[in-house]
Amino acid sequence: MRVYRPKLYAALWLLGMLALAWLTLQNLRRDWLETGFLALLPQAEQRPEVANAIERHNQAVNRKVVWLAGAANAGQAVTLAETVKTRLAASGLFAELTLQIPQQQYRQSYQQLFSYRYQLLDAKTRQALQHDPERLLRDNLETLYSPLGQLQAANLEHDPLLLFSRYFAAQNPLQLNIEHGAVVVPDGQMVRALLVGELPDRDLKLDKLELLLSLNQSLQNQVRQQGGELLATGLPLFTAYGAHLAQHEISTIGIGSTLGVVALLSLTFRSPRPLLLCCLAVAVGLLAAWNLSLLLVPKLHIMTLVFGSSLIGVVVDYALHFFCDGLGLPHWTPRRGLTYVLPGIAFGLLTSLLGYAGLGFSPFPGLREMALFSALGLVASWLTVVMLFPFLLARFRPQHQFGMLSLAGYWQRSWPERLHRYRRYLCAGFALLLVGGLSQLRAQDDVRLLQTAPTEITAADAEIRRLLPIGRDNQFFLVSGADLADWYRNERGLLDALAPLTAQAKLKQFDGVSSHWPDPTQQRADYQLLKTGVYRPDLLQRYMLNLGFEQTAIDSELQNFAAAESKTLSLDDWLASANPNLRQQWLGCNAEACRSIVVLAGIADLAPLPALAALPGVVWVDHVSQLSDLFQRYRQRVTVLLVGVCSLIMGILIYRLGWRDGVHVMSVPLLAMLTALATLGWFGELFTLFNLFALLLVLEVAVDYAVFFHMAAASAGTVDKRDTTTLAVALSAFTTLLGYGLLASSSTAIVHAFGVTLAAGVGSAFLLAPLIGFNANKSKQ
Amino acid sequence: MKTLSTLILWLFAAATQAVDALAAIKSRLVPAAIVQGHFRQEKQLKFLSKPLVSEGEFTFQQQRGVIWKTVSPVESVLLIGENRLITSQGEQALPASFGRVFPAMLGGDLAELGADFSTSAEMQPDSWRLTLLPKDPLLGKAIAAIYLAGDSELRSVEIRETGGNVSRIGFDQISRPAQLSPQQAAEFARLSP
Repeated sequence: MRVYRPKLYAALWLLGMLALAWLTLQNLRRDWLETGFLALLPQAEQRPEVANAIERHNQAVNRKVVWLAGAANAGQAVTLAETVKTRLAASGLFAELTLQIPQQQYRQSYQQLFSYRYQLLDAKTRQALQHDPERLLRDNLETLYSPLGQLQAANLEHDPLLLFSRYFAAQNPLQLNIEHGAVVVPDGQMVRALLVGELPDRDLKLDKLELLLSLNQSLQNQVRQQGGELLATGLPLFTAYGAHLAQHEISTIGIGSTLGVVALLSLTFRSPRPLLLCCLAVAVGLLAAWNLSLLLVPKLHIMTLVFGSSLIGVVVDYALHFFCDGLGLPHWTPRRGLTYVLPGIAFGLLTSLLGYAGLGFSPFPGLREMALFSALGLVASWLTVVMLFPFLLARFRPQHQFGMLSLAGYWQRSWPERLHRYRRYLCAGFALLLVGGLSQLRAQDDVRLLQTAPTEITAADAEIRRLLPIGRDNQFFLVSGADLADWYRNERGLLDALAPLTAQAKLKQFDGVSSHWPDPTQQRADYQLLKTGVYRPDLLQRYMLNLGFEQTAIDSELQNFAAAESKTLSLDDWLASANPNLRQQWLGCNAEACRSIVVLAGIADLAPLPALAALPGVVWVDHVSQLSDLFQRYRQRVTVLLVGVCSLIMGILIYRLGWRDGVHVMSVPLLAMLTALATLGWFGELFTLFNLFALLLVLEVAVDYAVFFHMAAASAGTVDKRDTTTLAVALSAFTTLLGYGLLASSSTAIVHAFGVTLAAGVGSAFLLAPLIGFNANKSKQ
Repeated sequence: MKTLSTLILWLFAAATQAVDALAAIKSRLVPAAIVQGHFRQEKQLKFLSKPLVSEGEFTFQQQRGVIWKTVSPVESVLLIGENRLITSQGEQALPASFGRVFPAMLGGDLAELGADFSTSAEMQPDSWRLTLLPKDPLLGKAIAAIYLAGDSELRSVEIRETGGNVSRIGFDQISRPAQLSPQQAAEFARLSP
């Protein structure tokens, strides 16, 4: 049976392509791109209720963009904010834009709660009533006589003790200043008006993100021209900037590396065919990866495309081996070429797939997607090389002496010899470099390092946080209890423990449902407190008479109070009157428990907070640091995995090549990986989970290099393949460096670190590989 | 045609007159970095049979703000800075319009008032009366008008609320010391963060 049938395989390949083309048409119609940063991260690995709480919390935080329009006075600031709002509304990006504070809702809430006024006390007033009711009455007089107490004085008619005024004021502890209908914040010589936008969806499409970014930029300019200043912050802006930067860098780095690769391959082969075939192999790989991945996952993340396409680029190596093999032989045919390179590139594919399989087992959706994407793409590209190239190279008649080939030949003879000559010094120096670098390697797992933002956005963010402590911090508490009463007790316990922290300025603010809604037991207790205290008929009579109330008003107040004894404000009724932010903090009751979120703002000292989780029913949720912990664990896990993959490859090598050669071949990728790590250490580069992917790529290419040098040595009896192998390896190394080493110029920290790791690893693999099969004695002859 | 041009001329004159009036009143007031005096405040609430009357001392200092010290019927101290309000019950939110208006009135910085109110003035040879109408419709819902009256000093402020309540503050025994007393300085120190 004939195995080598180029036309048949090419035809099969073509069929595959038609299927892909059909799939492409299907996939292009759907919404396939994911840009949200959070989609890369695993769902919190914890109990579902915590995950739900995180989801709820993030939703409230992550869809908001906040602007502060600053001008000389409030009127101008609000007018500026108005023009900003108009343009934002016209863009259609936002589901909601809030500038004018709806007064109606405020009044409605006041009226709804007013009839429960004898049941509702804020914590401070309750405490005052318990300890010193006279003091409360004195405070009332102070307020009433103050030149400021207009509003309270007006309320006095229906709320003679100003108890409900106190409760209602405590509902909005921030006491935001409202002028011209909008929230305004004084800031030195400027007044800033607050505008809050909410996106309809957490994951904006790329074009929308671009629009958001450019709109924000143009609004900044517009406001500046009008003599004002516009500050903006919000996670969508950070995401938009990240996506914009990634896109920009992909295109510039892409153009740079493409030009480099084209120049290199054209110079070497003096024929467009190898270049076009390389492009074809990569293109087929990308197309297949994109299409087939979308069969398995609903959306692909932009980072998958960035890293995944770099990983697929390895296929160029296989193609290069194929072409270069032809350069050395007088009677080369694609068939003989394939016979020679097939074991090598098959082994290369195997090691790559092993690595991806490892990544596939990680819990990061981003990594699994990347592994899937790269594995599918690599297989498709590999099949293109093996199935299509023999057919397309049928009449490839390379000239036999290339300038590049002689250069490669000269280098592969002289370079190992020099290394050999100074081996003592070099070994010692190399060992020193490795040990020195590795000892300086510090892992960093902070998730926040993954996000890069320009200083103007981070500065504006810090400024807004300083002016307006409304931004919730990432950390929060989840409080639960077996039933409503149990939950209430637990949350009160937590809030009581938090109060001293705000007094010590370790925390600016905290807020929970129970600081607004007293449970029925508390409501009864509060009523009794009033009944035996300030609402004692003689006491109330004296107080109201002193102020100048008519006797009828005093009597009716006492009647109202007596009539309200059995009233109870239910949680549902309270929720209906609460503002949306507070309402979101209530997570509801189910068969197991009732739950709520206690939010924090302006944490100055994180240390005392996690300890509060010791309180009954309280869980401390610090998503960011939990994710950082997770990063750390998975960095460690992927390290183990990488060691495992290395051992497996070593096992296979030893099984096929024997102990001596197996260890020799394996030493190249091992040393290359160590060099990459040492380089990170010396230069103090970021060392995260993501550098390990670069190491995985280094492992792949370095194994290829070493295996091909080994194969060249093994076939040395018949034809010397070392020159062509060197050329192929050199071309591969330079294209890889051009392609991915250029990522080192990226300003996104992780991409930069990825590039540095890769450049150091591939560079050293290229320098070390010629030592495989180098015979010191032979070269002396 | 003639009437129209007269009307335009008159409107124009009226508009400039308002600005001029602010300047004219300001020129009558004695400028000083520190002003102190006695106040008597009467709040007439329509549901109370008698007004809430309080008396005390005030101190105004250009850069720092106002000390409003009530002596009777209950003793209390109110400190009003640019963005802060401190009462004996602790720090409270300061309505920004108040934070600007109150010191502007006491300091005689009438131009400042033009930002938040539309103004009109009645000038007599030795006295004046200024009417302030809120520009911010939100403020307008609560406050109908503020009337200031005086001669070479601000003598009274009257705040009419839309609900019918009226507050009147009268000032007398006004003096302009060159320096703050140690006690006043200590109160102001509490305002600086």
